[in-house]
Amino acid sequence: MSDAFVEVRGASKAFVGVQALDNVSLSVGRGQIHALLGENGAGKSTLIKILTGVHRPDAGEVLLEGTPRHFRAPRESIAAGIGVVHQERNLITRFSVAENITLEDPPTKFGLFDEAAAVVSTRKWLDLLHLDIDPRTIVSRLSVAQVQLVEIAKALSLESRFLLLDEPTSSLTPHETGTLFEVLRRLAADGVSILFVSHKLEEVLSLCTHVTVLRDGRNACESQSLAGMTRADIVRLMIGREEAMFAAPATSVRLATPALELVSVATSLGHRDVSLQAFHGEIFGLYGLIGAGRSELARAIMGAAKITGGELRIEGTPTRIRDVTDAVRRYGIGYVSEDRKGEGLILAHDIASNIAVTIWHRISRFLGFVSDGMQDRVAAPLARALDVRTPSLAQRVGNLSGGNQQKVSVAKWLAASSKILIIDEPTVGIDVRSKAYLHDLILRLSRDGAAVIVISSDMPELVALADRIGVMKDFRLVETFDNSRNYGASSARIMQAIHG
Amino acid sequence: MTVQTRLRAISRSNSFGLFVAILVFVAAFHLLANGFTSKVNVYSITRSIGIDGVIGLAMMTVLVTGGLNLALGAIGVCSAMGVGWALQTLGLPIWFSMLLGVLLGTALGAINGLIVVTTRLHSFVVTLATMSIFFGTMVLLSGSNGFNELPHSLTGFGRMRLFGMVSPLLLVMFVVAAVLFFIYRYTAFGREMLAAGANPFAAKLSGLPVERLFVSCHALCGGIGAIAGMMASLRNGAIVPSMAGPLGADWLLPAFLAPVLGGTLLAGGGISVLGAVLGTVFIAVISSGLYMLQLGEFWIQTALGLVLLGAILLERGRAALALARSTRR
Repeated sequence: MSDAFVEVRGASKAFVGVQALDNVSLSVGRGQIHALLGENGAGKSTLIKILTGVHRPDAGEVLLEGTPRHFRAPRESIAAGIGVVHQERNLITRFSVAENITLEDPPTKFGLFDEAAAVVSTRKWLDLLHLDIDPRTIVSRLSVAQVQLVEIAKALSLESRFLLLDEPTSSLTPHETGTLFEVLRRLAADGVSILFVSHKLEEVLSLCTHVTVLRDGRNACESQSLAGMTRADIVRLMIGREEAMFAAPATSVRLATPALELVSVATSLGHRDVSLQAFHGEIFGLYGLIGAGRSELARAIMGAAKITGGELRIEGTPTRIRDVTDAVRRYGIGYVSEDRKGEGLILAHDIASNIAVTIWHRISRFLGFVSDGMQDRVAAPLARALDVRTPSLAQRVGNLSGGNQQKVSVAKWLAASSKILIIDEPTVGIDVRSKAYLHDLILRLSRDGAAVIVISSDMPELVALADRIGVMKDFRLVETFDNSRNYGASSARIMQAIHG
Repeated sequence: MTVQTRLRAISRSNSFGLFVAILVFVAAFHLLANGFTSKVNVYSITRSIGIDGVIGLAMMTVLVTGGLNLALGAIGVCSAMGVGWALQTLGLPIWFSMLLGVLLGTALGAINGLIVVTTRLHSFVVTLATMSIFFGTMVLLSGSNGFNELPHSLTGFGRMRLFGMVSPLLLVMFVVAAVLFFIYRYTAFGREMLAAGANPFAAKLSGLPVERLFVSCHALCGGIGAIAGMMASLRNGAIVPSMAGPLGADWLLPAFLAPVLGGTLLAGGGISVLGAVLGTVFIAVISSGLYMLQLGEFWIQTALGLVLLGAILLERGRAALALARSTRR
C-alpha cells in the first residue's frame, strides 16, 4: 500500500437524513488508471467532493503519499496537486482558451497579462491533446466537445500528479475519446495517477487497470485489478444483479405516409439537401460526429431555426412551421434536448410543473384557470408510469438524479401526446439501470404509434434501438439504411459513411 | 403533506420571518416612539403601504422575467398625467379616464417589453432609456403643468378614513395583490410567465411563446404602474409631473425593496405575492418608526438602502443554501 499516491480510508459522510458514504475506501497507486464506478446516487460524487475539498468526511481520512490531509476548500486540494475535470463545465465562456488555461497563474510582463506567452504555453497543452484550435478563440464559440477537451487541457496544465476525470467523454466522439485515452496512458506512464469516473463500461475496460465500485454508499469492491473482469462482472457489482441484454425487436408494419418527411431541406444553420422520413411506430436513429449538425437539424424541425429550402411534410402535407410553439401545439412535435439542465428542464420548479408546462394552455378552464390539482391529474399518472422516483410531485426537478430528470423531460411530451418525438442523446450521464429503462420506454413509445427520432453518439445504443439509421456529416445526411441490429455490420456501415 | 410538515414549512418560509420581524418592530416602535400607533400615524402607514405595495407588485411582475423596469416611475407618472388630461381637459367620466390611464401604462410597458424582446438587450439599458423618453415626452406634452382640479368624489376617496385610521388605498393594494396571486397561482398565463422567466430556453423548447410572455410581463408591470400612479395622485390631491421625483426615480427603492425582501428571485421565475406585501409593510413600519424617532429623511433612506442590500445578500444566501441542499451526493 506504500506506493499508493492517493488513498481514502473508511470515509463516511451523511447529509440531512441520507447516509451518502458509509466506510468507503479507495487507493490509487502511482501511475495507475483507476476507475470509479457506481450508479447515480451510489456516492461517487460525494467521494469526489471529499477528494477535492468541497466536503469534509464525517469519519475516515484522505491520504496523499501516505500523509493524512484535511482539505478545507477546493483550492487546497488543487495546491496539493489534485487536478479535476468536473462533469459540469467550469470555463469562463467569455474568456479565450488561453486566458482560461492560464487563469490560475497568468503569465505577466510589466505586471500586465502577457497574451503571447499565454498563447505559447496554451498551445503546448492543446497540442498534447491533438486539439487544433487557436488559443485566442473565445470559449463560447467552441463546440461542446472542444470545450470538454479544453477543460482537460487545463487540468493537465496544472501539472497535477493526480488527475480526477468525472465523465470526461460524455460529449466526445469515439475518435476524440481515443485521442484522450492515448494522452492519459502517456501521463500514467509518466507516473501521474488517474481516477476515471464514467458510465461507459466499454471505455473503462479498455482504459483502466483497477476499479472501485460503489453501491448505495458502500464499497461493492475496492481497488481491485480489472484483469480478467468482464463487463458483466462490473455490472453485477454495480447493480447487484445481472443486466438484461437489450435489443429492440424489429418493427412489423410501416405505414405508407411518413409522420415527418424532409425533402432536400436546407436551413439557415447550414444544412443542405437533407431528406429523411420518420414513420409512426418506428425509431429513426441519427448518428454523426459532434458538429455534424444533428441537434441543429432537430432545432430546424422544431421551428427554432429557419428552413430555407426544400420541403417539410407532416403526415404527407407540406407544412411551414413558424416557431416552436407552432411545432409543439399545432403539429405535436416534441424535442428532448441533450442539454437537460440548460434547456430541457426548469430545475428550480417542481416535477408537476415541468411535466404540465406543455399543456397548461390546454387543460385550463374559464379565464385560463389551472389549479395544482388539475396539473397533478395529468402529471401524477405519467410520473408513475415512467417510474420517476420521488416522494412528491412538489419536489424540485433540480434535486432529482439524472435518470429521473430524463424521465421528466420525456414525460412532458407524453403529456402533450406528441406524435413526433425527437430525443437528443437520451442517456447521456445516466446510470445503467435508468438507461435500460429509457431504452425500453423509447421502444414502447414508438410501438405505441409515435414517430421517434433518436439522436445519439452512443453507437451501441443506436444500433440496439433504431429501426433505420441515418448518418450525418457536415450538415448533410450522407447515408440512410435499415438497421440489422447486428452491431458489427451496422457500425461498419456507419464508419464507412463517415470516414469512407 | 401532514399538518406538521406544513407548519414546519411555513415557519421556515421567508414570509413567516418577515411577519415576525414586522411584529417585533411594531412592538418596539410602539414602546419607543410616542404616537407610533396613533390613528393619524396608522392612517399614514396604511396609505404608504397601499401605494408602495402596488409599486412593489408592479416591479415583481417584471422581475419574473429575470429583468427589471427602471421606467416604472416614469410610466406611473405618465399614466396619471394621462388620466388628469382625460378628466380635466377632455372632461371624460372618471371610470373611463382611469381605464385610459391603465391602458396607457400597459402600452408603455409593452413598448419596453417589445424593445427588450426584439433587440435582446438587457432590460436595464432599455428601461433606463425609456425612462427618460417617456418622462421627457410627458413633460413636453404637458408643459410640466399638473392637474389640480380633480373631481371631488376622487379626492374624497383618497382622503377617506375607514374606521378612522385605514386608508382605502390599502384596499386597492389588496385587490391588486389578490388578482396577481390568482394569476400566478391559478392560471395557465401566470404559470407560463413563471416558467419562461425561470428558464427561457427550456420554456421555449416546451412550446411556450416566451417572447410574447415577456412582453406581457412588461405590459402587466406598466398597467399596475399606472394604478400606482393614480394612487399617488390621490394622496397628493393633484396630478403633478414631479410627484415621483426626477424621471420617476423616487419609486425605485420601494419597487425593488418589497419584492426582494419578500423572496422574489432576481434571477427570474420565482415570486411571492404575500412576501412582496409583507415586504412593503415591513418597510412602511421601519420608515414610519424611524421618522417618529425623529431621524432625518436621509437617515431613513440610508436605512432602507441597507435593508435592500441585506435582502439581496439574504437572497444570495438562500440560493447558496438551496444549491448545497440539492448537491447532496
